[in-house]
Amino acid sequence: MNLDRVLQVESVTKVYGKGDNKTEALRGISFDVLEGEFLGIMGASGSGKTTLLNCIATMIKPSSGRILLKGSDISSFRGTQLADYRGKEIGYLFQEFELLDNLTARENIILPLSLHGVTGKQAGGELQELASRMDIVDVLNKFPSQMSGGQKQRVAAARALISKPSIVLADEPTGALDSKNSKVLLDKLYAINKEQQKTIVMVTHDANAASYCSRILFIQDGRLFHELRKNVKTETRDSFYERIVTAIAQLGGGSANVL
Amino acid sequence: MFFKHVRRNAAKYRKNNGLFFSSLVVAIVAFYTLLSLGDQDVMRFLKTIESDAVSKLMLLIPAVYMISLFFVFFLVYFTYRYQLDNRKKEFGLYLMLGMKRSTLFAMLMSETIWNSLVSILLGLPIALLLTEGISLATAKLVGLGIIGHKISFSIPAVLGTVIGFIAVQMIAMLFLSAAFSRKEPMELLRSDSPEKQVSLSGKKGWLGLVLGLFFLILAYAIGVTMLRSFDFKIVMLVLALGGSGTFLLYHGMGVFIGHKIQQKSPARSGLFTFTGRQIQENVLHQYRALAVSSLLLLMALACISFGIGVASGRGSQETRTVDFSIEGSKQEVCGVLDSEASKSMISMYYPMFLGSMNTNLYDQTGAVLESKPNAHELSWAGLSAALANLPETDLRNNMMENFSDRSGSYLISETSYNNLLQTIGKKPIQLGKSQVALYTSMKDSSDFINNLDDALKSGTYIEVDDRKYELLPNIYFDNVVADRKITLYSALIVSDEDFKNWASDSSTPFCWNVLLSQKTVNEKGLMQAILSMEQNFAGTGLEYESYIGGIGRNLFYTVAASYLTIYLGILFMVIANTVIGLKYLMQQRENKRRYLTLLMLGADVDDLCKSAGTQICLFFALVLGVAVFSSVFAIWSMFTSFLKLPVGTSLVKVIVIAGISSILFVMIECIYIHIVEHTSSREIQALRVRDRGNAF
Ligand SMILES: Nc1ncnc2c1ncn2[C@@H]1O[C@H](COP(=O)(O)OP(=O)(O)OP(=O)(O)O)[C@@H](O)[C@H]1O
Ligand SMILES: [Mg+2]
Repeated sequence: MNLDRVLQVESVTKVYGKGDNKTEALRGISFDVLEGEFLGIMGASGSGKTTLLNCIATMIKPSSGRILLKGSDISSFRGTQLADYRGKEIGYLFQEFELLDNLTARENIILPLSLHGVTGKQAGGELQELASRMDIVDVLNKFPSQMSGGQKQRVAAARALISKPSIVLADEPTGALDSKNSKVLLDKLYAINKEQQKTIVMVTHDANAASYCSRILFIQDGRLFHELRKNVKTETRDSFYERIVTAIAQLGGGSANVL
Repeated sequence: MFFKHVRRNAAKYRKNNGLFFSSLVVAIVAFYTLLSLGDQDVMRFLKTIESDAVSKLMLLIPAVYMISLFFVFFLVYFTYRYQLDNRKKEFGLYLMLGMKRSTLFAMLMSETIWNSLVSILLGLPIALLLTEGISLATAKLVGLGIIGHKISFSIPAVLGTVIGFIAVQMIAMLFLSAAFSRKEPMELLRSDSPEKQVSLSGKKGWLGLVLGLFFLILAYAIGVTMLRSFDFKIVMLVLALGGSGTFLLYHGMGVFIGHKIQQKSPARSGLFTFTGRQIQENVLHQYRALAVSSLLLLMALACISFGIGVASGRGSQETRTVDFSIEGSKQEVCGVLDSEASKSMISMYYPMFLGSMNTNLYDQTGAVLESKPNAHELSWAGLSAALANLPETDLRNNMMENFSDRSGSYLISETSYNNLLQTIGKKPIQLGKSQVALYTSMKDSSDFINNLDDALKSGTYIEVDDRKYELLPNIYFDNVVADRKITLYSALIVSDEDFKNWASDSSTPFCWNVLLSQKTVNEKGLMQAILSMEQNFAGTGLEYESYIGGIGRNLFYTVAASYLTIYLGILFMVIANTVIGLKYLMQQRENKRRYLTLLMLGADVDDLCKSAGTQICLFFALVLGVAVFSSVFAIWSMFTSFLKLPVGTSLVKVIVIAGISSILFVMIECIYIHIVEHTSSREIQALRVRDRGNAF
């Protein structure tokens, strides 16, 4: 594995509101994401996971601290650069899929490319490849309302991947899926991570989902407070899962069940 | 506390719904303008001479008002429903927090009343200014002069406007809030699922499209070719075909757009596909609204063209020839007219010799009905022969029939008619020996005039006592008396000598024609000048008709018809445009998440605004295109049937008026599109990607 740092998060804080209404969602978080990593982020509800992901995705601005993608500070991006960053450098997978429901699957997937001037014809090859990998060839001409939840999320994943982003951010991507569809999606993400060295950062509540990751960060009250690393060569997913569950029970103490 | 809350909600509502709110203000202005019609200077004036017709019109106005309230009701109902849908969660929350249903209901009602009051406070002053302006302008245009101007502020009209307007709002709100407050809080809290993409099956859509087009073309063809006779059945057929054609067309259009997108989008990048799909979705979901707005706009265009046509057509042919026609002996008439008071106001007066020819009377078969002493023999055979050479039409046959009647035709003496021509600055007729000229007062019927003109141009004659008299190649139609009530289907202008020989009574003139001097008219305005001249006749016992009597009737129909139709037209236009604009904005708000997703995927805000702009333009274009296209045929058939412009209407004037109205129309549409675009951009720019955080 190549040890380049794709993403550097440096003492990022985020404060919502002002005065009495203030919420400190992030209180100085620092970590690196390496190229080809499948990073999991876990934490109790309200601990700041979504806030963190949104900061990385430039959906919100951190109150202080820096976030560097491949060495450049994303808070300095403006206009086209910002649009390019959102469209090309990151892929985002949402809990609620967020497909445009008046576009067909095909049109949804190539949207990030279209937005940057690539036509559907030019993207054809890639689209076919991704579609067969995600097992959604049959639904390419369907509208979201005609697909199952699992298909929708896999279409969304294809959309997140089509622009070959440096990093894929996923906020509870399995949150709206049943266990079978969750497993299909995670298997696909896992395979893509392994085969294409695609960097993935995934927020999840689910220990099973987390067990697909190669490293897990635990967040509490806006701070990083624990890290689990999978022994890539020797450890099976089942034993990693056991470790995660144990960690949650130990670290979370009484609040374990809210994770 | 309660009222502060109400006021704040209402203010927020007005800010978020500027488009709808300004439409309400326009509606108020229109309502008041309609209701105060009776207080306009022209109408007040007409009441004095045409009181019957005016009071009939005043009875009609409440009906028109009810119709407009009915249309405005839909606008209000539909906007409020959208508004309440948007606030569903808020209401659910109020109820969960223990607000009583009755309190919620009272709150909604108070908000509505407050909003109505604000729009009334804004609209009424505008309405007053506008009606004042219209009153002054029409008075000036028809020569009433501004002496008689009265401020047209009308309390009943204000009350009518306020009551009607608030009632419509309250009823709409009542319906809606009744439905809302019946719902359980949980139902309100749960946001409803987004509309599903309807995929109309290809075949059905294409069928609709083709059928719609077919119906429309059929309606156009029937309208243009067969509407002339204004048969009720045919009118209904055209309306049914046109209406259903428009609906089918819009219904099928979504499929067509979808097909186009599928065809084109692989080769396009950017937001092309998104924009296209948005429009397609809009058309599929909103085809009813599109069709209704399109039909409303068509109605608006037809109404306004009708109004303008009536106004300009009638106005143009009003060449004033005679101001007074007085009956009486020479001494009586000259005594009054030569008095100091009258003399200064008059430019000239002359006797009008108009009488009927002394012939036997014949029945329809041509048999003698009543024989007269010293009767002359008249024959129209020459003219009938010329008419027979024209292409056969109902009108021509009818004319030939009428000219076969040999009973006493009307005669006008050459000198009298030349006096008349002189007063209006036209060249006098020169009748040679054995020459007569044809006169008719039916100049409003252009086909009739054209037929006669064609016949005369071919060189024709009449016969009196078996002697041929050549008819001059021109037809004459200037009014020979002040009152338009007298219509002469045909009359012969003959030399004074022939008049003396042929007329039953050639010694006394039919009447004395008086023309006021231009100076007096310029000083006082025509109407006022005539009114003050009438004072000179008061008490003399002279019988007279004045130009006002004739023009009054005409003016009344002109003003009433054009005022009402233009009013309805503007109201329809406002409603149609507001509906289209609102439909679009609603759809954009419903699709807020889509725009957020696009931003997340790296779309540029400006590109999104541009895409929205394209959607808006296309949305409007879809409605306008069909409406304008149909209106071409509607106006065409209108102007070739019941709204024929009278002969002598200047083509340049018509083109100029049509041009100005089209430019105004385009400008109004541009303003609407601009407002909607502006609102849409503002809403897109206000989208922060972070909003999504809250959405989870
Ligand atoms: N837009 C906002 N305005 C104010 N406070 C916010 C906003 N978004 C989040 N917060 C607060 O910031 C803190 C972190 O929220 P965040 O959404 O990041 O939590 P999370 O870890 O994703 O929780 P969950 O697992 O429930 O999704 C919470 O206390 C939340 O109340
Ligand atoms: Mg979250």
